[in-house]
Amino acid sequence: MKITYRTGRRSAAAHAILAFALLFGLAAAPHAAMAADEPAAQTSANDGSDENDPLEPMNRYFFELNKFFDTILLKPVATWYDGVVPEPGRDGVRNFLDNLRSPVILANDLLQGEWERAGTTASRFGINTTVGVLGLFDPAADWGMPQHSEDFGQTLGTYDVAEGPYLYLPVLGPAPPRDLTGFVVDQFFDPLTYIYWDKAKTVPVTRFVVNGIDQRARSLDTLDQIERTSVDHYATVRNLYRQIRKNEIANGTRNFDDLPDIENLNFDTNEPDSPRIGF
Amino acid sequence: MVTTLTVHRARRFIAPLALCMALIAGVAQASASTGDAAKAFVEDVSKRAIDIISDKNTSKAEREAQFAKLLDETADMDRIAAFALGQYLRTPTPEQKAEYLGLVKTFIVKVYVTRLSDYNDEKLDILGAKEKGDKQAIVQSEIRFTNGREPVTVDWWLIKNDGDFKIFDVNVVGIWLAQEQRSTFTSVIRNNGGDFNALLGHLRQQIDKAEAGEIPSVNASN
Repeated sequence: MKITYRTGRRSAAAHAILAFALLFGLAAAPHAAMAADEPAAQTSANDGSDENDPLEPMNRYFFELNKFFDTILLKPVATWYDGVVPEPGRDGVRNFLDNLRSPVILANDLLQGEWERAGTTASRFGINTTVGVLGLFDPAADWGMPQHSEDFGQTLGTYDVAEGPYLYLPVLGPAPPRDLTGFVVDQFFDPLTYIYWDKAKTVPVTRFVVNGIDQRARSLDTLDQIERTSVDHYATVRNLYRQIRKNEIANGTRNFDDLPDIENLNFDTNEPDSPRIGF
Repeated sequence: MVTTLTVHRARRFIAPLALCMALIAGVAQASASTGDAAKAFVEDVSKRAIDIISDKNTSKAEREAQFAKLLDETADMDRIAAFALGQYLRTPTPEQKAEYLGLVKTFIVKVYVTRLSDYNDEKLDILGAKEKGDKQAIVQSEIRFTNGREPVTVDWWLIKNDGDFKIFDVNVVGIWLAQEQRSTFTSVIRNNGGDFNALLGHLRQQIDKAEAGEIPSVNASN
């Protein structure tokens, strides 16, 4: 059930969206904290993660749009890639892309005060770039330093910045204000942004596209299964995104204290709730 | 831990004394045995589930029947079904509620027999148990794969029902499954102006699709 909505570095191809994203993300962020409190107060059995989607009609439209392009383009290409390129090749691609992302991960490890993880990231970059032949192999993982990912959205999450209202964008997918802001800030942590600042964008675009294909290829079965077994595919993806992000922000540490109170929950005794019609 | 062992040994010979000691030992005593009971429960349930999923000689229908029986015995289905309705818990009529309970059981069996189909002959290791209040426990476990795939963490949220543990929710790599169901169920009702029948219709549709074989019973590619 591992789903990768990892916000890898998106390139110049999405520059127009990014410009909008930056404005929107920064403008929307302050509202996030207020908006998040409101649905949480609704019912004891609601942890507030199911709603807070004021732009749902627009989000659903973009969701269907992405699904359409996925069906006619991304999924066929990813299926082809998965079938034609042998696994060691695909792993090399993944390792190389992961290694390229190390500076961004390192910056966020440091901003979160995760000194040990920052050390791991730095060592991984050193080892994999040299012994791992420019990052094509991942010997560091075998030496007890497994890969982990970080982004500025997660960093903001560790600073208790709320995720904000859900937002689903073309190409980018789930990108609520906190994570969208994080995505934009991450561009400035990435040396490649400066290297290709005023040059042709072939390298960043290629990186973006290959990353997308590889991630899609790695989740072919999982995403198919989720789509087939969902009563409402959009709502499932929204919930999975939120749960995955929450888990990523906690670096996999489980917190069982903030689970909803279910002890007195049943059809007969739960306090009556006026149903919220519409949203 | 030492007290636990002592008490267990003592119980064989002089049960009343053991009872007194248990009462005196109090919270620490209770927690140790609750945790152990929770772990044993999960060990048993997961073994039965893996046995059902791994047995490729049985037909899909048989596997679903066995899985339904397992869920009936080990999961708190009424509570899960109630939870999945979120703020719409009070909206169904008694007839709708009865139909919903039936549909949701069938739906969950079909979904999880499918989703679990690629876990063959894997081993589940119990890592530990945590108490949550005096009626709930969380058991942490891990599925290890023989083919070098990264282990998958599975947390089991248990609740005591008449003294016996029942499963309320299962967390796979950080995702609570009942929470995921709730988000889609409430979304369907909300997007149909609060009409509970819309959810029943969607559930029937999903179950029919599964019956028609649109959900593969075994994961083909890997």
